Amino acid sequence: MKHGQKLFIFSFLVVPVTVYVIFVAVPYVTSMLVAFTKWRGLSMNITFNGINNFTKLFNDPNFWNALSHNGIALVVLLPVIISIALFFAFLFTQGIRGGGFFRITFFFPQVMSAIIVGVLWSFVYHPTIGLLNGALGILGIQSMQSFPWLGDPDSVFGSILAVTVWQAVGFYMVLFITGMESIPAHFYEAARIDGANSFVLFTRITIPMLWEAIRTAIVFLALGAMDMYAIVMIMTNGSGGPSRAADVVPRYLTESAFQNGEWGYATAMAVVLMFIILGISILSLRFTRREVLEF
Amino acid sequence: MSHQKRFTRRNFIKTTSLVAGTAATSAVISACTGVAPAPVQAPAATTVPEAAATSAPAAAPAKLDLPFPVAPEAMDPFKLATDVEVDGQFFSGGFGDGYIRYAAQIEEMIHPGLKVQVTPLQKVQETLQARFVGGNPPDVIDNSGAGMFKTVDLVNEGQLLDLAELMDAPALDTPGKKFSETLFPGSQNSGVFNGKQYGLNVAYTVSGIWYSKTLFDKNSWTYPETWDDMLAFSETIKKEGKLAPWTYQGKYPYYMWGIVWFQLLYKVGGNDVLIKLDNLEPNAWKDPASLQATESIYALWDKGYIMPGTAGLTHTESQAEWLKNKAVFIPCGTWLENEMKTVTPADFNMVMGGIPGYKDGKGDQKGIFANGGETFVVPSKAKNPKHGMEFLRCQLSKASARWFAENVSSMMPVIGGTEGAKVSDGMKSALAVAEGAGTAIIDYQVANWYSKINKELEVHTGELLTGKLKPAEFLDVMQKIADEVAADPDTPKFKREK
Repeated sequence: MKHGQKLFIFSFLVVPVTVYVIFVAVPYVTSMLVAFTKWRGLSMNITFNGINNFTKLFNDPNFWNALSHNGIALVVLLPVIISIALFFAFLFTQGIRGGGFFRITFFFPQVMSAIIVGVLWSFVYHPTIGLLNGALGILGIQSMQSFPWLGDPDSVFGSILAVTVWQAVGFYMVLFITGMESIPAHFYEAARIDGANSFVLFTRITIPMLWEAIRTAIVFLALGAMDMYAIVMIMTNGSGGPSRAADVVPRYLTESAFQNGEWGYATAMAVVLMFIILGISILSLRFTRREVLEF
Repeated sequence: MSHQKRFTRRNFIKTTSLVAGTAATSAVISACTGVAPAPVQAPAATTVPEAAATSAPAAAPAKLDLPFPVAPEAMDPFKLATDVEVDGQFFSGGFGDGYIRYAAQIEEMIHPGLKVQVTPLQKVQETLQARFVGGNPPDVIDNSGAGMFKTVDLVNEGQLLDLAELMDAPALDTPGKKFSETLFPGSQNSGVFNGKQYGLNVAYTVSGIWYSKTLFDKNSWTYPETWDDMLAFSETIKKEGKLAPWTYQGKYPYYMWGIVWFQLLYKVGGNDVLIKLDNLEPNAWKDPASLQATESIYALWDKGYIMPGTAGLTHTESQAEWLKNKAVFIPCGTWLENEMKTVTPADFNMVMGGIPGYKDGKGDQKGIFANGGETFVVPSKAKNPKHGMEFLRCQLSKASARWFAENVSSMMPVIGGTEGAKVSDGMKSALAVAEGAGTAIIDYQVANWYSKINKELEVHTGELLTGKLKPAEFLDVMQKIADEVAADPDTPKFKREK
C-alpha cells in the first residue's frame, strides 16, 4: 500500500516536474551562462565574454533610461492604483444604487488583453480624430488641438501610465471589495456606536483588516511596473517612444536581441532585471509585514 | 466479479493518470519540436507537386510548357543534381506567394525531376533561427517582413552564401547576357557587403515625394525644381491655410531620413559624402554638406510646414491623412499605392516626384534612391545551395517579372520585365523619375550595415523634426554615435569605394 501510494504520487509529479525542469529550470540556468558570453544568436559561434556584458550594461545610457521608466512606473502606479481602487471599493460596498453595474464596468478593462487596450487607447490619443483631443476641443482648449500625445517625449509615458491605471484599477477594486465584504459588520456597528465617522471607519477598521489584500496588490503592482512590455510595445509601435521617452527594460532587451543581434548582452540584461524583480518582491513583502488579525 | 473488482475507482484514477501523464508529455514534446522545426523531407516525392499545386492561390498559373526560349548554355549553369527536393522558406506578405510558386515551377520545368518545396512563412526569424543555430538552414529564403533577420547579422555570422557564381551565370531568358547584367543598376546595392553580393532584392522600389496630381492640376501648381522652390511653395500653401504643405510617417521617422535626408545629402555633396559616412570616416557627419541637408529638412519643422499632429501618427495613419488632402506632400516608396489601395479616393491620382535639389549642388540633381525590397538569400550551410541560386535565377527572370507585374502590380528590378504589362500611373511616374536619373542611383549603406546607427538616426530624426534638436546638435549626436560604432571591436566593419 505504502509503495503503491508513493508510485501514485510519483505518477502525478513526474510529468509536471519534468516539464518544469526542461522548460523553466534549464533555460534559467542556461541564460545565466549565456549572459557571460558574446552571441549573435544565429549560429553556435558563442564566445566567453567575462563580465563585459554587465560592465557595458552599467555604462549604457539607454539601459538606465529604460530602467528609470520602470522605476517611475513603480513609484506612480503603486499609490495611484491602490488609492483609486480602495476608494471605489469602499464606495461600492456602501450599498449605493447601481453598485453592481459599476463593479462590472470598472472590472471590464481587466478582461481585455493589453494589446486591445493599447490599440484602443492609441485611437483615443490620436492627434486629429482622437477622443481626447476632441473632448479638449469641446471644452474650448484650442491649444491642445492635434497635440500628438504619443508623439511627444514629454507626454508619451504619462499617457501610457494613465492607460495602465485605467486597466488595473478594476482588478484591485474587486480584490478589495471581496476583502471588505468579509469584514464582520458588527465591527463597524460597534465603532459607529462609539461615535466614529466614515473616515475613521475606513482608516481604523477597513485598511487594517484589508492589509493582506493590500500587500498582495503591492507585490503584484511592483512586478507589473517592472514589466510594462506589452502596453509600451503597442502604444509606441515597438520603438519605446519618441526619444525613447517611454522605453522600459523588457522592450530594450528585445531590441538588443532581435534587432541588434546582441543575445549575450540581452540575456545579461534579463538576468539583471530578474534580480531587481526578486529584490523588489522580497523588500515589499518584508516592509509590509504586519500582525494579521484573525476573525 | 473479480473482473469487476479490478476496476475500482482508485485503480481507475491510477491508470488514467498514468496514461494522461504520458499523453501530456508526448504532446508537450511534439509541441516543442513544432517550435523548432526540423522539417521532414517528404520521401514520397510524387505527392509533393500535387500538394503544391492544390494549395497554390487562384492567381497561380497552370502548368506551363516553357513559354519562353532558353539558350542551351543557360539551361543548367550550376550542373544541378535533379534527385533532390529544394527546401524554400518564403515570407508571404503583401505580394502573396503566387510569384514564388511561379518561379518554383520554372525551376522544376527546366530541371525535370527536381522538386521545389515552397513553404510560406510569416515570422522569418522566429521560424528559422533554430535551424541556423542547428546548422541545417533551408536552401533559399525570402527574408522579409516585420520579423525578418537583419541581413547584416547573418553576413557577420558567415551564414550567407556569396552569390558571385549566380551573378556571373547566364541569365535565364535574356540571351547573351549574364544574370547580373539583366538587373537594374543600383537595385542590388543593399545586398552587397564588402563587395560581395549576399542578398538579392526581388521587388523594385523608387523612393521620392508623393502628391495628388488632381490637386496640382486643380490649383495649377507645378512640382518644385529645387529645395528653395519647395520651401517657397510650402510658404504659399501655408499662407493659404487650407491644408498643410507636408506630413511624414510620424512614429517612423525612417521615411524622412531614409528617403529625404540621404537624397538631399547626395544632391548637396555628391556621392563622396555618402561614401565617407558609410566608411565611418572621422567627422563624416560634420561635413558642411550634412549641415545644409539637415537644415533643409529642419526648415520644414522650423517654418511650420509639417501638418500639426504628424509626430503622433503611424505610417498608414499619416498616409490616410494625406489621402484626405490634409497635406500636399508625403515621402514614400513605390509600395505606397498598393499599401493604401483600399482607402485611396478614385480621383486622387497619386504620383511621385524626385527630391528637389540645389542649384549649386555637387551631386547629380536628377539622382534618385531606387533600391529594392523582398531580399532573398541563400544560406551558406544549406544542403543544396546551388539549387537555391538556381531558384533565384528563375525568380529574377523576365518571365517571372512579367507575372509579378501582371498579378501583383509591382515591379521586379529585371530589365525588360514589364514589357507588355500594364503599369499603374504612380509606378509610371516613379519609373520616369528613375529613367531621368540614368545611372545616378543614390546609394548609402551606413544604416544598413550598422543597426545602432539605424536606431539612433530614427530617434534623432524624430527629435529634429519636432524641434527637440537643432541641425548642428543632430549632427553632433550622430557623429558621436558613428565614432562609437567605429571604435567598437565587436561590430564588424564594411567598406565601399564607389
